[in-house]
Order: sequence, then C-alpha cells, then structure tokens
Amino acid sequence: MLEISDLTVAYGGVIALDRVSLSVPEGSITAVLGANGAGKTTLVRTVSGLVTPREGSVRLEGAELVGRTPEAIARLGVGHVPEGHGIISELTVDENLRLGGLWRRDRADQRVAIEEAYELFPPLLARCAMPAANLSGGERQMLSIGRALVARPVALLLDEPSLGLATALLAQIMERLSGLVAERRLSVLLIEQNARSALSVADQAVVLSLGRVALRDRADRLASDDALRHAYLGF
Amino acid sequence: MRLFAIYTVAGVVNGMVYAAVALALVMIWRATRIINYAQGAMGMFTTYIALVVIQHGVGYWAAFAIALAAGLVLGAVTERVLIRPVESQPPLNAVILSLGVLILLEAVAPMLFGGQTQSFPAPFSRIDIAAGSTQLYISPFDLFSIGAVLVAMLVLFVVFQRTSLGLRMRAAAFNPEISRILGIRVGRMLTIGWALAALLGALAAILAAPAIFLYSNNMDEVLVFGFTGAIIGGLESPVGAVVGALGVGLALSYVSGYVGSDLAPLGGLVMLIAVLMVRPQGLFSFRGHRQV
Repeated sequence: MLEISDLTVAYGGVIALDRVSLSVPEGSITAVLGANGAGKTTLVRTVSGLVTPREGSVRLEGAELVGRTPEAIARLGVGHVPEGHGIISELTVDENLRLGGLWRRDRADQRVAIEEAYELFPPLLARCAMPAANLSGGERQMLSIGRALVARPVALLLDEPSLGLATALLAQIMERLSGLVAERRLSVLLIEQNARSALSVADQAVVLSLGRVALRDRADRLASDDALRHAYLGF
Repeated sequence: MRLFAIYTVAGVVNGMVYAAVALALVMIWRATRIINYAQGAMGMFTTYIALVVIQHGVGYWAAFAIALAAGLVLGAVTERVLIRPVESQPPLNAVILSLGVLILLEAVAPMLFGGQTQSFPAPFSRIDIAAGSTQLYISPFDLFSIGAVLVAMLVLFVVFQRTSLGLRMRAAAFNPEISRILGIRVGRMLTIGWALAALLGALAAILAAPAIFLYSNNMDEVLVFGFTGAIIGGLESPVGAVVGALGVGLALSYVSGYVGSDLAPLGGLVMLIAVLMVRPQGLFSFRGHRQV
C-alpha cells in the first residue's frame, strides 16, 4: 500500500502540489490524470525522493519515505519509470536491466529477475548486447519498465508510458503489466495525459488540476460518465 | 635512424606517463564534468610521501604501494570534503576549487618536505639495455614504467567494463539522477572515481620523478601535456586519452630532439591549439560538440 497524504510541494513561491492525498492499494493501479502542469510529474518525483515536499507524507507499507534519499527509497521498493524512459543510452540493454537491482544482495534471484524481464518483453532479448541508444521508442519503454521490475519493487511509478508510443504497442505493454500487478501485488501509480488508455487499465483514477485533486473515482465509472469525462478529461 | 629510435622510445615512455594523467583527467571529467587541475599536484604530494618513507629506510616497493594508497585516500578525501559540497553548483565552482587544491598542495609541500629539488630513486636501472653489441635505447626502468601504466589501464578497464562496481560507476557518470532512482549511491561512486583517478595520478608522478626530479611544481608540465593528450582524445574517451597522450609524448620528443628541447613545451601548446581549432570535439569524441 502506497499512501500519499497532504503532500504539498512548492518550487520557489509557486505551489505545484497542494495537499494532495491518495492511496494505492496492493495489486491495483491508480491513474493520475490531468493537463500539462497539473503536477503529475512532480507527484511521482516527490514519491521517489527527487523532489522534497514542503509538507505531507508518503508511506510505503507504513514506512515514511519523505526525508529519505532517492537511492534509499528505491531500496525500500519504489520502482520509478521516469518520463521519457530514462534508460541510459550509452549502456547496453543488458547493462540497463542489470542496473535495476544491483544493490540487491540476492544475486541468484537477481539473475532470475533479469530472465523474467526478458520473458515479459521478448524483443529486448534479441537486442541484449546492443547499446540502448539503438532501441525503438516501444523497446525503450519496455526496457525502462523491465529495469524497474528487476528490483522486485513493491510500488511502481509510471510517468507517461504512452508518450511517443503507437496505441497498439502501448495496449500490449499495459496488458502485460496489468497481469503482473495482480500476480505480484504491486501498487502502481500511473501518470497519464492519455486518459483513455490509462482508464482502460486502472482500478481507480485521480484527476489533478493545478496541483489539487479535482476528482477521484473508480476508473470504470469515470470512463463511462460522459459529463465527467468532458469536464475533466476532454474526450 | 639511431636518433629516431632514441627519440621514439623516449616519446613512448613519456607518453605513457602523460597517458596515466590524461586517463585520470578523463575519469573525473566523465564523472563530474570538471577538469581536476590538482591532478598533477596530488601526484607530486604522494611522491613526496613516498620519498619520506624511503628516507626512513623502507624499501622502494613499500613506498611505491604507500604512494598509490595515499593517492586513493587523497582523491577520496578531496571529492568528499571539497567537491561534494559544491556538487549542485555550477561546475566552475568545482574547477576553481581544484585550482585551489593545486595552489594549496604546491604551497604546503615545500613547508613539509623542504624547498630544494630532490632526486627520486628508480627501482630499476635507468641505463639502456644492450643485447649483445646492439644498443636498444630503452632502460629497464623505462620498461617498468610502460608496464606499470599498462597494468593500471588494464585493471581499470576490467573494473569498469566487467564488474558491477564499474557498471554502477559508469551509470552514475552517464546519468546521476536515473542512477539514484535505481538505488545506486551516486555520491559513493564519485568518491571511488576520484580515488581511482588520483591513484593513476600518483602512479604517473612516481614514475616521472626519477627523470624530472621532485619539487613542488614538478608535475605542472606533465599535467599540461596529459591534459593536451586528453583534449586531443576528446576528453570523453579513455582510449582517445591514451592515444592522444602517446601522440603528445612522441611529438614532444621529436621536437625536443630535432629542433631543441626549449621548444618542447611550445610544441605541446601548438598541438593543443591546432586540435581545438580544427576539431574542438577531439579526435575520438562520439558526441557532436562540446563547450570549449
């Protein structure tokens, strides 16, 4: 369970997040929707420790994350798939995957986790010795998600995985991911501008507007309520 | 022909020392995006430590090991105490700090170790080997110097390319933020990187000392020539740095042999300017452009 409560973030004097609260139960996906500048990326960057909040708390299975370094938060089980993939293009595909869990003590399980990532995303295996720079957009996204999974995270933060991906490919990646969410009891926070795609896999959804929670509901209800969709999501 | 052979061997031997310095500069550049102007002075300082140890009756090899270990410590402490606090500031601040370390070490060394120029022993003969009646123009110490730098390079290559520590260090250098969210302690990787770079600098300095003698700024020229080699190699590429530094060593040796030894430093400068004008990204750089 990932619990965010009363999280307030300010850049200088500008409030980016204003007392945002939400929780992501185990084995479920919470979509965070909203326009550009709504504070979506700030939210995930604060959870993973890259941004320090002014107030509020983030708890993962009861442990407070605010105040810890990003590397400590990663080691507590937060996997972050950053906006724009965040793969290290100078390293090979295999090296990128290995980086996912280099801090883990269990070397044997680490190897298993890497094999599982290749099974989950077979196109990566064929390119394992290539520099990650050679990958296509979809493969980069697979690599980034695979790399986060290698660490065997408890919570997974996905920041705009749809960016630059063809709809069919995105659907394929999300389908594999949602299978894993149930199987591994992951708490997934899915940041999306592409509301339609996010609502199709999410269990619940939160709409951010100018740093505030404007709406929260079950994803299926939000997707089917025409008035809400028009008002907040624009489709 | 005989002269050419002599100059070539001398150029390679000097070039290997410049290569060690160049490689140290490249390692720090890649990890922290700054040029460590104190790289040579740190080597001078650790060589003085070795000299003190030798003067206390300890053998050369123990002193050699102590100098390299002192390099590791000096590099780690410099990063942790001086560079880390300005890490998030513009790189110029760290560059100025490294200049400060250079001035500090060169000022403190004469106070601690005496101001006069001292000779430094070589563990092997510096007289050229003769195979029967043929002179080979290379001494046992020259061979040791080349071998020691080659071994250091090989060890570093294996560490960086084949170990998980090396992978973490490369990741931290390429993308610190992404590395942190993957659980890599980037700060620790930088400390280790500075330590390894200073070890290379210490090696270069202790190998250079028998020929250039030991005084507080004895490494200034070596640093400039190593820097020139690193720039020629593109500053990003370890292989480029080694090749560039060897080229500088050879070119300077030919200039000082055929033209005049007074002109050698000028030759280094001309090479640096020529490369910066014709190909500012360096001969081995894979990146499009770089600020000069």
